[in-house]
Amino acid sequence: MANAVKWKIKDLWKTLKNIVSAVLVGELLLRLNIIRYFPHFAYLFLLFWLSIWASLATDTTLNKVERNKKIIHNLEIEHAQKTYELVSLSRRSTVEEMLANMGSQLREPEKPAVRLEK
Amino acid sequence: MTGHDTNTTPHRDRIGIILYVFYLLLLLCSILVVGRIIQIQLFFNPDQKIINALTPKSTREVIEPTRGNILACDGRLLAMSCPQYQIYMDCTVQKERFASMTDKSKGEKLEQKWLAKARELSEGLALFFPEKSAREHYLSIENGRRSGKRYLKIGHGVDHDTFLKLKELPLFNESRGKGGMIVEQRNIRQYPYGKLARRTIGFVRDNRSQVSNTHIGIEGQFDYVLHGTEGEQWLRSSDAGRIRDYSHDYVPAVDGKDIRTTINIDYQDLADRALRRQIEEDSEIEGACLVLMEVGTGAIRAMVNLLRDETTGSLEEISNLAIGRLGEPGSVFKTVTLAAALSDGHIKSLDETIPTNHGVIKNSKLPVDRHITDWEREHHTNRISYLDGFKISSNYVLATLAIENYSSNPRNYMDKVYQYKLGEKFDFDLDGLRVPVLPKVGGQYWSNTTLGSVAYGYSTAETPLHILTFYNAIAAKGRMMKPYLVESIEKNGSVCEKRGPSVLNASICTRAVADTLTRALRAVTEEGTARVLGNASCSVAGKTGTAQIVLENGKYKDEYGRKKNQGTFVGFFPAEDPRYSVISVVYSKLSSSSFYGGGYPAKAIKELIAGIVDTDPYWQKSIGKTGSVPRMTAHASLPSEEGESLTVPDLRGLGLKDALWIAENSGLKCTYQGSGQVLSQSPSAGTKTESGSTLKLILR
Repeated sequence: MANAVKWKIKDLWKTLKNIVSAVLVGELLLRLNIIRYFPHFAYLFLLFWLSIWASLATDTTLNKVERNKKIIHNLEIEHAQKTYELVSLSRRSTVEEMLANMGSQLREPEKPAVRLEK
Repeated sequence: MTGHDTNTTPHRDRIGIILYVFYLLLLLCSILVVGRIIQIQLFFNPDQKIINALTPKSTREVIEPTRGNILACDGRLLAMSCPQYQIYMDCTVQKERFASMTDKSKGEKLEQKWLAKARELSEGLALFFPEKSAREHYLSIENGRRSGKRYLKIGHGVDHDTFLKLKELPLFNESRGKGGMIVEQRNIRQYPYGKLARRTIGFVRDNRSQVSNTHIGIEGQFDYVLHGTEGEQWLRSSDAGRIRDYSHDYVPAVDGKDIRTTINIDYQDLADRALRRQIEEDSEIEGACLVLMEVGTGAIRAMVNLLRDETTGSLEEISNLAIGRLGEPGSVFKTVTLAAALSDGHIKSLDETIPTNHGVIKNSKLPVDRHITDWEREHHTNRISYLDGFKISSNYVLATLAIENYSSNPRNYMDKVYQYKLGEKFDFDLDGLRVPVLPKVGGQYWSNTTLGSVAYGYSTAETPLHILTFYNAIAAKGRMMKPYLVESIEKNGSVCEKRGPSVLNASICTRAVADTLTRALRAVTEEGTARVLGNASCSVAGKTGTAQIVLENGKYKDEYGRKKNQGTFVGFFPAEDPRYSVISVVYSKLSSSSFYGGGYPAKAIKELIAGIVDTDPYWQKSIGKTGSVPRMTAHASLPSEEGESLTVPDLRGLGLKDALWIAENSGLKCTYQGSGQVLSQSPSAGTKTESGSTLKLILR
């Protein structure tokens, strides 16, 4: 056991030399018999792909959210603007003035209204 | 096998060599890539511009809350936040790019094209911002481009519709980098009714900063409710612009709450117009205020404060006179004296009389009352009842009443005044309600004339709101309601906090005393100093008051004999079943003319009452579900020829069309006045007349 775990610098150098020569000859992967790890590599690749896809999809969704937010904001602005214009026109004296400018004879009531009971 | 091996080896070697070279190339590339990655990660120091361009930056942004709305009592918007745009232009866009083009003629051509678009833009701008002509707009853009101006002001306060139209103009319809349009959006506070009730509603420019001045209306006093709470978010750049960075904290903004006021904006408009119509043309009037309050609740339905702008001469809501201006109330305070005397049992009936004494108040140095000498001359009598004295607003009668009954213990009288809440500042929804000033019994400023002068409204200082609160209590049969402006605090239409009515004093006097005071106040409007209201649209009970204002010299007149007057009318209507109480106070400038409470203030109130009676549901009559309508039959026989005798049919209660049908079928000619149903007819139904004669119909 003691011999099995005992490493020498010379062994390390020999291993490195073997690796380099295997790389140069193009046999490193064959020598390592890397094919047995293929499912793991495929799984890792899938994970990377999923991660990138999720990130891009999140970005797309966020962009869509921002675009919709902008649309809602613009609609809110338009609503506020229209409300303001409408309320501005509801002042009685303004209505009376506008009617007079249009040549209408309609004026403020001169006696209380008669209410018809339902 | 050998031969076969000998034949195939060269071919396999060639493929092997090609593959091996290809493999070596890939290996080299991978070594380069890995080396480059290591170099970039560890040693590469790129230019800052590249870092800025490639690093996704997150920046913190404050989310501005939407300021709450201020609503009228019926939910109409009195104040709201609405976006406005400030438009600027970067005049230098693309200038450098065009200038640095290697093909100079192409660069020049593109520059000219840009300027041509700027000319078209200027024509469009002249339509939206007519203060400058198209040429002036173009020159400013061209000069800006020449001088490198990156922030040329195009227009401020642009609304959303205009902004959308501006975005369609040449250059502005391109991206910022090409067209140069710079837009800043701001939520600006808008007041749909303009300056109406400005001092009551208040005024803020936007919601960006806390309102430091809490004196101006509801906007100032309730800023802590309206403002909301700022939020915070982080934004990062993406291909589609800046989006929220979800890796940072997000604190949403909490929008401000809405405030529902008691203001009826229609009545506010009526009151504003009525008051302006009275005082606008008279340049000797400094200002005026008018407050309309609901008797049962103390809800203020209208509050008008007009002060003449010294520079323009126009009437503006510059100061809240109704709560912030103290003044000697004058004769409107006589009701206080009368109420005290009635409550303490010093008077049993208003018809009790006292000697006139030529208007000289006994044991006092107070001035002689000329109203009394006039009374003696007109009525040939040396006695006057309390009712008549009150009606003609006699200082003598009310001062005598106070002196005779309270001089031994004036504190009793002053206690009554305090009980009527005329000596203290109550909690009010607006900042700035002044504390009334009352003389202290036995104090430094108390003299033997003080009690008498307080009895008819001098030597004290009250705000119009204090006086109105007291009169409102009489209208409410002794129950003194606290005036209030804020009905509730709401969020998205649901009530968060109900503020509603509250009572200041459950009973300032008995119902009998309130009824007696009402009788006296009705006499004032029917036969007294406020006769102008005698023919108002409904019965009014109230009191006029005219006081002279103390000048800077400590006197009531200046060296030229000019004086300042404060004319008041305060009362309630309809007198028999009070719905509203109202006060109007008019302040004059230094003038040799006289202004009275029965003048402008009473006239303004008369106009306001007419408007309210015509629109308020309380005065509307109703027609029931069932009723009897006369049958549409011709009671008279059809005449054979003109001049034949016939009986006039009963057309009362019919509409004009039906009435005409029956009358003409009966052989009568018709004339009519008015509209609606036939109220009366002449000759009356059942009488004999000749065929062809005319029947007059009055419709209403």
